Amino acid sequence: MTGKPSPVRLHKDLETIWKTPPGIARLSSVNHTILGKRFMLLALIFFAIGGFLSMLIRAQLATPHSAFVGPEIYNQIFTMHGTVMMFLFAIPMLEGFAIYMLPKLLGARDLAFPRVTAYGFWCYFFGGSILVIAMLAGVAPDSGWFMYTPLSSRPYTAGINADVWLLGITFVEISAVTAAIEIFVSILKLRAPGMSLARMPLMAWYMLVTAGMMIVGFPPLILGSILLELERAFDLPFFDPTRGGDSLLWQHLFWLFGHPEVYIIFLPAAGVLSTIIPVFAQRQILGYRAIIAAIVAMGFLSFGLWVHHMFTVGIPHLALAFFSAASALVAIPTAIQIFAWIGTLASGRPRWDIPMLYVFGFFFVFVIGGLTGVMLAMVPFNTQAHDSYFVVAHLHYVLVGGFVFPMLAGLYHWLPHITGRQSVYRLSIPAFWLIFIGFNVTFFLMHLTGLMGMPRRISTYPSNWGWDWLNLLSSVGGFILTMGFSLVLVDMILQFRFGRRFRRDPWRAQTLEWAMPTPPTDYNFASLPRVDMRADAIEPAPLGPVLASGEGYLGFARNNQQETLAVDMMTGVIEHIVILPRRTYLPLWTALATGGFFVSLLLGHYWLAPFFALLVTGLILLWPASLGFREDQGPVPIGRGETAPFDAESTSNAAILANRTALVTNATLFSSLLFGGLFLIVVAPNWDSAPAPLVPVWLSILAVLAAVAGGASAFFARATNRAGGAVTGGLAGAVLAQGIATAAFLAIMAGMGNPTAHASIAIAFVTLGYCALHSAIGAVIAGHALWRKHQGYVSARRATDPELAFLWNGYAGITAVFGAAMALLLGGIL
Amino acid sequence: MSAGDRRALILLIAGFTAWSFGFVLLYGLQALGCAYDWPAHRAILIAAYIVTLAPLAWLSLIKVRAEGEPASVLALSALWANRAALAAGVLTFFPATFASACI
Repeated sequence: MTGKPSPVRLHKDLETIWKTPPGIARLSSVNHTILGKRFMLLALIFFAIGGFLSMLIRAQLATPHSAFVGPEIYNQIFTMHGTVMMFLFAIPMLEGFAIYMLPKLLGARDLAFPRVTAYGFWCYFFGGSILVIAMLAGVAPDSGWFMYTPLSSRPYTAGINADVWLLGITFVEISAVTAAIEIFVSILKLRAPGMSLARMPLMAWYMLVTAGMMIVGFPPLILGSILLELERAFDLPFFDPTRGGDSLLWQHLFWLFGHPEVYIIFLPAAGVLSTIIPVFAQRQILGYRAIIAAIVAMGFLSFGLWVHHMFTVGIPHLALAFFSAASALVAIPTAIQIFAWIGTLASGRPRWDIPMLYVFGFFFVFVIGGLTGVMLAMVPFNTQAHDSYFVVAHLHYVLVGGFVFPMLAGLYHWLPHITGRQSVYRLSIPAFWLIFIGFNVTFFLMHLTGLMGMPRRISTYPSNWGWDWLNLLSSVGGFILTMGFSLVLVDMILQFRFGRRFRRDPWRAQTLEWAMPTPPTDYNFASLPRVDMRADAIEPAPLGPVLASGEGYLGFARNNQQETLAVDMMTGVIEHIVILPRRTYLPLWTALATGGFFVSLLLGHYWLAPFFALLVTGLILLWPASLGFREDQGPVPIGRGETAPFDAESTSNAAILANRTALVTNATLFSSLLFGGLFLIVVAPNWDSAPAPLVPVWLSILAVLAAVAGGASAFFARATNRAGGAVTGGLAGAVLAQGIATAAFLAIMAGMGNPTAHASIAIAFVTLGYCALHSAIGAVIAGHALWRKHQGYVSARRATDPELAFLWNGYAGITAVFGAAMALLLGGIL
Repeated sequence: MSAGDRRALILLIAGFTAWSFGFVLLYGLQALGCAYDWPAHRAILIAAYIVTLAPLAWLSLIKVRAEGEPASVLALSALWANRAALAAGVLTFFPATFASACI
């Protein structure tokens, strides 16, 4: 690094380091721009599949007594329509958008964990493929997208249809959880220098809260899927009321995820609106601070509504009133945002363009969906409209209005960023009107069919109940809607091929993603900006050339390293340089091994699954092999006359924050498991003469003491390392102690009785299995830190590995205490 | 990160975190009271309602005099969020005082 390179030289140097070659090497890409586009493209393919299924539904329901498809196939079609649209389109689309856009909006060169991005993509691809292949083979899930038990239990769904859903969706959800952790950490740590939390564009605030919601929202669903699969595969009776289980436990776990999920989908779309509307209103957004408060309020309130999906299952008035009030209340923070957007438009100088057509569509459709939502929040009306087409109309108004219309606005706004070309608009306007009219014809009429009593999920209906013409018009509207989406697709292709090229920032936007070349380079910014004002009020046109000439931070290439900067999560003060891993096939191999685990379970080859689990563990342990330094480096130049240390020498680096976040996810899953156990003890039938699990007190105490000792030993190792002492003893002690804890937990499980006999034993069995697994994980991570120490990657300054060992061993100790207490409670000892 | 910054960030989510704990507490007490037929069920629910509102009321009164970014911006958002949490608590937990708790 001698002298300042010319902009062209700088570009070539950075391109050499960051680029992903064409051909088969593309499979090794870990670049967020490539993977974000892949996520969005695959999500659009699944959207087309889900749309095709909806056409089959409308063809079936267009006329009474339809014989187009039989009820068995129809069940698969509507189940797959909902499953594909929710899990394979909406969530991955928002993930892909965030993966592509966030580093660009925040002034970074990539996300914090590029290989995790790639691993998440492959899990999504393989998991989604399992579902689609099953559908083509005629064994798709057929119990509805929420898979209620007992319908989805083995006695009523004997084939592998339900297993396809449980295992396929859990596989896909790996990508959701990994993306959530990565987005959360990247927003907090990988921002441009100077960009404090209060200077972030609102899009980042929306994604921060969304990621936080995903971190605690997905574990209940994953736990529910694991428990139901354990019931189906091994007859552990969590949901079987004859043996102490309860079907309502599934509904609680599903909707604990399912309702926040609606807001998880809406909030990123609201972020898109909060970004686009100021651009076209030609003024800054109104109410920045009020919107932050509203986003936080929505994030929390959305977790207090889940029982409004269960109003008719037989719940006391008090509980109904809790959830009814919370359901109505969530409309207020939503309304604050809508008024902020309207106020921004009213007080600005709005210019109309295609994205604004979709913003108009959003206002119209989403407000109707919100109003019918308040109607459904009222218990008496909900009881009348429950499971009718009124609910189908409402959920489509909310989800299409709250996600698809804003995303289409975003598509037209940011497609020029991806393609480097602007739309020629010949098809854009008719496409919008076809979508808008088609959508309202299809779904507005469903309010009426619902109010006239038509239930959801019926494959056919008689002709004398007054539903005929409404259904026929809904089907006509559905086909108009499809024509509109087809035109959007053609319009996109035409833009890629014939769109007008532009120089920079065609919309006169005021965010950082337009201060880079378009289409973007693999490294985003040739040098990183300093942000001294709100990041939604910058001028990209003059800033872009300054950054391209290397005037910002890291405007050089060093040691073939992919470098970006990490900042203090609140203030934006520079903390350290992050060295990002370069392209590798490891995420692909790891995802394939993960796929092997799920497929072996799906095909009933249970003996094979542990081998794949070991293979996954081994591959993941290979990931950090090339990371870090064998000597302390100290602070190095970062440009603009400043210096910073590398991430390996920071104790507030992204890896540590990500592991803390992963433990929050993990703790949510464990809390859900404890909730499930307590729920069954308190509420489920057939517990008066329940067999108690045999839980020896001395063995429980040994297991807990060993797990806690493992945590203490890892704590000791971390403290010793910070003081410059030896860590070997502490880490080896943690390995030994957690090994003893694992063996003790397994011994209790082996002798506690038959877990298929009653939910009391099954819950104790799974809880202690969780503890055994986490003690084993603690031992593996402590052992890995020991190995890294012997390889020379650990010192008093390079302290990440002992820190991670402490986090996971400490967590194992805490879960051992609660897990053993639960088992002893179930055993009647407490 | 200064102490003022950290305080502003914690306050931003403190109110609704307290609201969440209150929600879990009241919903749990309602279920336990019904399952084990507590004689003073209503009184316990009302007491829990008041206990839950106390920290929310306290948080809604805290005005942090923070200087400089980001604390000054977040402090105002936190004040609004905490007042919203108090309003949400008063409204959503109010049925604990009168609605029938068990089937």
